[in-house]
Formats: sequence, structure tokens, C-alpha cells
Amino acid sequence: MTFLQFIFYLLAAIAVIAGLKMISVKNPVQAALWLVLAFISTAGIWLIAQAEFLGLALILVYVGAVMVLFLFVVMMLDINVAQFKEGFTRYLPLGVLTAAAIFALMYLVLGPQRFGLEQVTPPKSLAEAESNTLALAIPLYTEHVYAFILAAVLLLVGIVAAITLTLRRRPNTEVLYQDIDQQIKTRAEDRFEMVKMPPTVEQPLPEKEKEE
Amino acid sequence: MIALSDYLIFGAILFMISMAGIFLNRKNVIVLLMSIELLLLAVNTNLIAFSHYLGDVTGQIFVFFILTVAAAEAAVGLAIIVLVFRNRKTINVDDLSTIKG
Amino acid sequence: MNFVIPSFTPAIPEIVLLTLTSLLLVADTMWSKRYEFATYYATQVILVIVGALILTSFTTETVTTFDGSFVRDAFADILKLAIVVISLGLFLFSKEYLLQAKFYRGEYFTLGLFSVLGMFVMVSAHNLITLYLGLEIMSLAIYTMVAMRKDHSAALEAALKYFVLGALATGMLLYGFSMLYGATGQVAFDAMAAVIDAGEVDHVVLSFAVVFIVIGLAFKLGAVPFHMWVPDVYHGAPTAVTLFIGTAPKIAAFAILYRLLAEALPGAVMDWQPLLVILSVLSLLVGALVPIVQNNLKRLLAYSGIGHIGFLMLGLIAANPDGYASAMVYTLIYAFMGLAAFGLITVLARTGHEFDRVDDFKGMNQRNPWLALMMLFVMFSMAGIPPFIGFYAKVVVIEEVVQAGFVWLAVLAVVSAVISAFYYLRVVKVMYFDAPQDTMKVEPVARHLTWAISLVAVALLVFGLFPSWVIDLGYHSLS
Repeated sequence: MTFLQFIFYLLAAIAVIAGLKMISVKNPVQAALWLVLAFISTAGIWLIAQAEFLGLALILVYVGAVMVLFLFVVMMLDINVAQFKEGFTRYLPLGVLTAAAIFALMYLVLGPQRFGLEQVTPPKSLAEAESNTLALAIPLYTEHVYAFILAAVLLLVGIVAAITLTLRRRPNTEVLYQDIDQQIKTRAEDRFEMVKMPPTVEQPLPEKEKEE
Repeated sequence: MIALSDYLIFGAILFMISMAGIFLNRKNVIVLLMSIELLLLAVNTNLIAFSHYLGDVTGQIFVFFILTVAAAEAAVGLAIIVLVFRNRKTINVDDLSTIKG
Repeated sequence: MNFVIPSFTPAIPEIVLLTLTSLLLVADTMWSKRYEFATYYATQVILVIVGALILTSFTTETVTTFDGSFVRDAFADILKLAIVVISLGLFLFSKEYLLQAKFYRGEYFTLGLFSVLGMFVMVSAHNLITLYLGLEIMSLAIYTMVAMRKDHSAALEAALKYFVLGALATGMLLYGFSMLYGATGQVAFDAMAAVIDAGEVDHVVLSFAVVFIVIGLAFKLGAVPFHMWVPDVYHGAPTAVTLFIGTAPKIAAFAILYRLLAEALPGAVMDWQPLLVILSVLSLLVGALVPIVQNNLKRLLAYSGIGHIGFLMLGLIAANPDGYASAMVYTLIYAFMGLAAFGLITVLARTGHEFDRVDDFKGMNQRNPWLALMMLFVMFSMAGIPPFIGFYAKVVVIEEVVQAGFVWLAVLAVVSAVISAFYYLRVVKVMYFDAPQDTMKVEPVARHLTWAISLVAVALLVFGLFPSWVIDLGYHSLS
């Protein structure tokens, strides 16, 4: 076993254990943290497969943003952890059997006899200076530019959707809102009124105060 | 040298874990969403392994888009969960099937 | 590295739709207070503009652009036109409902337009990546529309179910895509088909990919045994959104089914055909038997929709251009009938009263004879009684599946159609022969809605009298 293989199996084992813990722990905060561990070790596996950009993006985008969002929501909801049942008890035996059967089928298709080292042409080793980011970037902005624009549209839809769903308009008595429409329409006369007032002559201070 | 089958079997294991998480989960809906994220992770690992072995960068570009979509999807999903919680004060899977024929 | 700027001309309808929708999104925040319905009218205008653009640049040849990620052909143009026409109806019927149910908001219309854009992208997708992105744009917008009625607990539950099962379906589909990419090394449909044709692909891996792809698509379409979300979502969602889910997205779903199975995987027909046969048989059975016991009309129509999906698949099972054409005809007609059926329920809803139970239609003939007649048209058409158009839809798919040699499947389909006629006729019977629970006259909130719904329902009869026009539309674009 080479060192690289050792690292691969170690990371894979960590990811699998973290995944299993994620679906079996009771507390959603712990589940989120286990998922973070699974993501980080999978990112390592992606690095081994020479997908450096995506490996790092997985850590930045997923661990850095998406999982933090999950944790935020878990905290915000103030869920009563005690009310959750201890996961899957009723269907567990049946479920495990089904999962094992399906996995056995998948293993027959994906296993070493079809995708082993001898069966598949090995990947060409990349030159040391070859940049994965560059290799990704050029087709992204040329060949797949249509998909790139669509991804932008998708993010816009995501923004609109999330804001539409979660924005709550509280009554004006609680929170003051800007009404841009009205703000633009205001004129100086509405805000500032010139009032004619008779001039008042300054009275000399009483004698008493002066002395003090 | 790591065999392609190792990557694919790793992906398959993640896939099965996430399926178990979705179908056996009787707990809260947030864990359901997390299982879906794990499912996408399995898909992405497959794509990256194939892309590595085929020497073709398209698979990685596909992963790039899946990551983008998954982030947007998570935001919308969490927004729906927040609404459900505000409305029902629970996100327990069993309490969330009241629509009946 | 030389980069040629791609031709934008074939994608002009999409570009215009995206630009105008984005403008509308900004404009909506400005004018939503001053002009109450400006966004609604702008939405309709945008759809008309986009429809006109497609119609004026209608093409019968196949054009691809953006390095083969976008394709435009007669098939795409006809489906996009159908989506535009149906969306016009959707928004027209929804507006008053949104006001009655008190969640009228500009975002409903902008998100609706975005989902129409997503459908366009799906219809014109020419590789796995764009297909996936189109699907997600459409789905995210629709999940949001379901959840928009924030104070309605059933709607939120429906949104959550729809979201989780939709995401699961996408995950399955993507797993299939990843195996497909691994087996062929391609993402573009034509290149994939060429590689499979050349016989350079490990067949076991290919069938493995096909299984996951078909399961994912079956989830999205709501075919048995992946249908459990359909009735709950149709039932729980606000009726205007049920109207949305039940019509235009079906056209887009058929488009991706065609693009994937018939364009990318014709070489794997031996793998997907048996799977579709199973799905179709089960869907026909459930669609015929389960609706009989339903009392909620939305739920009844959801189950009957599952049966319609079973019929639609018959055309695909035939696996030849004529078969695909018949499935396309079926999809278009089904979407149109859905518009009429859900539209009718939508326009009758009032504040605090959904008007979606079969009991609500008791004695409809005494309460509003004209609308009862319209409902009768819709139900007859759905049941497939001549001379309504629904009859011809069933005839063409059954004809194709017989020609392809699946006589037993055709027999099963006919039996299922006969059984399902029973519950459609039950609605008619309730309207004409039962005593009304309430003698008050029922009619839509606004007068123009009566006209609109009558137009759609009468069209079912008129098309049925001249069916060759609709059928040729499908056959000319695919055969």
C-alpha cells in the first residue's frame, strides 16, 4: 500500500463514519458538524483525484457557507432536542437489509472487475505546473458559457425565493420602514416651513442675576 | 495509484448512507436536507473520479454547477423549513403529514 | 485557443424573456404600491411578446448554438409556444385567486416567469448540464410558489414534501448522469448517442445509469411507484399553484424525457423500454382505481393525472418517431385539459372557501348551468369520450403502442380508460342529479373569468371536432 493509498482509505473511512454518525445522532447541531467532517475528508479525496479547485471550493462554499447556514437555521429554530425520537427503530432491520442488497448490486457494477486498475486506462499524469483552475476556467467561459449564465439566473431565483419566503413585514408601529416612493415625492415645502414671526427684542437680564 | 473502482465504491457508500438517511429518518427535516447534500456529494465524487480517469475536464465543470445549484437549493429548502417551523412549531417528520385523502 | 462568439439568434426568445423578467423584478419593487396590478399585466405582456418572437422566427430545421448546449427545432418551438399559451391562462386564472386567498404578491408573477424560463431551457437543452440547470430553475421557482401562502399550514407542508422529494429525484437523476458521463465520456446528447452507437460503451454500466435516470424522471413525473408525493402536493398547495404544477411543467418534463431517452439514449432502448412498461402499467392501474374513493377534487385530479402519465408513457414505449409524436400530442392535450379542470376550481374559490370538494359541485346545474356544462366538457374530455379532444389523445397513443407490438398494454390502457370514466362521470352525476347543499348561485369573482374558462372548455370540444390539426402538430414536428 502506497502512502497515497493509505491517505485515500483513511479519508474515505472518516467520511463514511461521519456520514453514518450524521444520520444517526439525535441532535441536529451534531449532525451538521458530522456532515462538515464528511465534507472536509471528501474534499481531501477530491484533491487526490487532482480536482484542486473543486476540493478547495467544497471547503469554502460548503463548509464555509452552506453548513454555516444550516447551523444558523438550527439555532434560530430553537428546536427542542428532547422531542426527537432515537431515530430509526421500526424500519431499521428491513432498511439495513435493503440497503445492503442494493449496495451489493452496485458493487457488482462498480467493483474492481469492471473499474479496477487493470481494466481502466490510467489517467495521464499532469505536469507539475499545470493549473487545474485554468483548465476549468477556459471551458467554463467559452464552451459552457450558456450554462454559466443559467447558473447566474438560478442564483437570482434562489435569492428572490429565499427573501420572498422569509421576509416578514411587521406593522409600521413596531419597525419603521423606508418608503422610497414617498421619500422621492417629498418636496422642500413638506419638510421645511417658513413661519413669519414678530421679532423679539432681547430683554436685559434682571439686575439680581447680574450680581451673582 | 488509486483505482477508479475505489472512488466509485466510496461514492456508492455515501449514496447508500444518504438513502438510509432519507428513508429511515423519523427525526427532523433538517437532517433530511443534510442527507440530500450527502447524496450530491456522492454524485460529485463520481463525476470527479470519472473526469480524472477520462482526462476530460467537463466532469469537473458539471460538479461546479452542481455545487452552485445545491447552495441555492439549500437556501430555499431552509427558508421553507423556517416557515414550517413558524407555522407549526415543529419540524419532526412524523408531525408533518397531516394532508390525507 | 480560438473562441468563436456563438450565434445568439436562436436563443432570442429566452434572452428577451430573461431580460424582461429581470427588469420586471426591479420594476415590481418600485410600482407595486402605486399600481396594484401592474406586475400582473406586465407578466402577460411579456409572455405575449415572447410568444410572438417564437412564432415569427418559427423554424423547422434543427439549429444548435453555444457549442452544442442549446438546440432549437420544431419540437422545441411547438412546446415553447404551448408553454406560453398555457402560462397566459395560468396567470389569468391565478390573479383573482391570489387576491381571494390574500397572498397576492408581485413575486408570484416574477417567479412564475422564471419557472417558464426554466421550462424553455429544459425544452431546448442539448447536454446534461443545461438540462439540469433548467430543471432546477423551474423547480426552485415552483417550490417557492407553493410555500408563498405563509399562513396556510397545508400549503407549507405540501411545499416541504415537494421540495424534499424533488431534491431526492434530482439526486437520483444526477447519479444516473454521473454514470452516463462515466460510461460515455460525453455530456452532449448527440455525442453520447454517437458513442453508444459505435458500441464503445460497457453495456452494464449504461443500463445501470439508465435505471437511475428513469427512476429520477419517474419521481419528477409522478409515475407509480414514485407517486406518493403527487396527491399530497396537489391537495395541499393553493389551487392556483396546483394549476401551475399540473400543467406547464408536464410539458417540460415530457421534453426532457424525450431529449434524454430518444435523443441521447436511443442505443439503450432495450434498457429503458421495460422500465417504462412497468411504470406505465402501474400508473394506469393506480390512475384508474384510486380516484374512485377520493372526495377532494384536487386529489382526484392528481390521481387521474398519474393515470394520464401512464398513457403518455405508452407513446414513448413504442420507441419510434411516430410513438414520440403521439406522446407529444398526448402531453399537449393533457396540459390543456389540466388548465381547464384546475382553472375551473381556481376561479370558483372564494375567501375562506376553496370549492375543491366533489360535494361542492353537488347540484351545480341549478346553481350555475353554464359552468356545470363547462365542467361536463372538461370531465368528458378527460375521460376520453368522443368527440372531445381527450378521446383522440388516447386513440393516438394506443394506436402507436399497438403498432409497436404491445397489444396487451393497449388492452390494459383501454380497460383503465373505461374504469376511470366512472369517476369522471361521478362528478357529472353529482352536478346534474344531486340536490345542491346550498342554493346560492356560484360564479367566478370576475366576469371575464367566466369567458376565459368557457373559452378553454369549449376549445376542448372544438379541437375534438377538428382533431387532425392538433395531431398533425405533433406528427409534423417529430416524424
